[in-house]
Amino acid sequence: MSAAIEDGLARVVASAQVAEAVQHTGLAAPWVAARAVPGQFVQLRVSTGLSPLLRLPLSIAGVDAARGLIEVIYAVVGPKTALLGRMSVGTAVGCLGPLGHGFEVRASRPRAVLVGGGVGLAPLLYLGSSLRALGQPTVLLAGARTGRQHLPEFLLARAADRVLRSSDDGSVGHRGPVTDLLADELEGGCGVYACGPRAMLREVAARCRSRGAPCQVSVEEYMACGLGVCMGCAVAVRAPGPAPAHGRYQRACVEGPVFAADALDWEDHG
Amino acid sequence: MVDLAVRIAGVTFANPVLLASGTCNYGEELSALIDFARLGGLVTKTITLRPRAGNPPPRTVETAAGMLNSIGLQNPGIETFAVVHWPFLKALPTRVVVNIAGETVDEFAELAARVDALGGVEAMELNISCPNVSKGGMLFGSDPAAAAAAVGAARRATRLPVIAKLTPHVADIAEVARAVEAAGADAVSLINTLVGMAVDLERRRPVLGGVTGGLSGPAIKPVALAMVWKTARAVRVPVIGIGGIASARDALEFIVAGASAVQVGTATFVQPRACIEIAEGIRAHCEQRGVSAVGSLVGSLIVRGPRA
Repeated sequence: MSAAIEDGLARVVASAQVAEAVQHTGLAAPWVAARAVPGQFVQLRVSTGLSPLLRLPLSIAGVDAARGLIEVIYAVVGPKTALLGRMSVGTAVGCLGPLGHGFEVRASRPRAVLVGGGVGLAPLLYLGSSLRALGQPTVLLAGARTGRQHLPEFLLARAADRVLRSSDDGSVGHRGPVTDLLADELEGGCGVYACGPRAMLREVAARCRSRGAPCQVSVEEYMACGLGVCMGCAVAVRAPGPAPAHGRYQRACVEGPVFAADALDWEDHG
Repeated sequence: MVDLAVRIAGVTFANPVLLASGTCNYGEELSALIDFARLGGLVTKTITLRPRAGNPPPRTVETAAGMLNSIGLQNPGIETFAVVHWPFLKALPTRVVVNIAGETVDEFAELAARVDALGGVEAMELNISCPNVSKGGMLFGSDPAAAAAAVGAARRATRLPVIAKLTPHVADIAEVARAVEAAGADAVSLINTLVGMAVDLERRRPVLGGVTGGLSGPAIKPVALAMVWKTARAVRVPVIGIGGIASARDALEFIVAGASAVQVGTATFVQPRACIEIAEGIRAHCEQRGVSAVGSLVGSLIVRGPRA
């Protein structure tokens, strides 16, 4: 696994705003595109100065292996995402990856259910297109605070046969949390994959547990190295994991960012 | 040909650039990205007697030209380290320094003996400077007598070279350095991180789960340089410079100020190959200046004025 990680200079091939304060950027990074699996991420070096200093970890939202391209979708919320969002086509950006433990893609009937909140949808878009390529019936439940923050249809549509949307203000789709939409879609045989705010993930995990549906979640943590050397992106687990080094805490960047929902200690923080 | 090798406490390092403790874990993760034969050496993440789960998250946050960490010495303990991690480290084509931290003086002695028994360790670095634990750590390093007690206990338990890693949180770092030298330290390394804090104003909460953390990165380089300079003038044992080193120029500044070698930490998070690029940059600098051995630059700072 770790033998496949490489650091190189990616080039911006396209970049566009796709929702309110949400940017969609394509990068030529053949060493990532050749090996990435859904749920993995890259560490982008968006500045060579001293501030911002650390890299920007972003989930891979899509891969075109034949052309050596990857996509990232991110909320423009701080200096690093602003720098990346402003980069013009052709700009070089250090790109370390693919990193982390991704989703385990498994056949599930009657359907796979993907649940995403905000830019947490990014890894689910890549996952959904991979599932569909395997002939897996897939539904995507997409939540956002407002309609203007929703990703456009053309991005969501490639991830699922059906897309159901929700917004907190009711301006698009169901009014309320995206987890409300689970009730009608969740059955015992479903494989559930979720990424988004911790409160959303906790609710998805609880509903899946009560229905006996296997659930995988992709978590977001403050991350420094992204490589597993700093122990910074700790995630509390319910039982000590297989790696004795990590005990109560595992690394979001190596053992994660995707974990089995039941493996996490949801009471720990957040 | 430039001679980049440096000799510290009887150990010859191929070049003066080492990976700092806590920034390279036990070597496994970086092995896919860097050629260890091109490093001066590697200092392991701190090992304690018993496993430590570490501090609650969030554990890291970026700050101006640096970052805070509150990891809390998460590690599997010496027994698991010996079985799971040491065989890999031992086989690496570089010098391995094992970093240890005891909660008590007796634990330092026991850990030193256990590390000695591993076989193949080049030296040990004593972490008497961690700001993120409630027992041991900085509590030793901030008091000359306590620092000397920890170093002395380790000294008596091993024949391996002992390096004391010092905290900047002292009135006079030279005094602590002299105390650990007298207690038998073969070298000192400095600085560990500076205590810092970040506040989430919207939530009115500390960002870090541990409330405060250790500041590292380029932001602390001037502090580290001053302390290395002061310490190098105060002790006869070699000084290893640590603190915000991100380029060959940074490393050379420490060497000129009195460091016999340097450790690179946070820069590895930004560029996994930073250590190797820094070593190559030192070579290029020496070639350009006609310096035949990097050792000749150590402590070559020219100081004039009232403070000299």
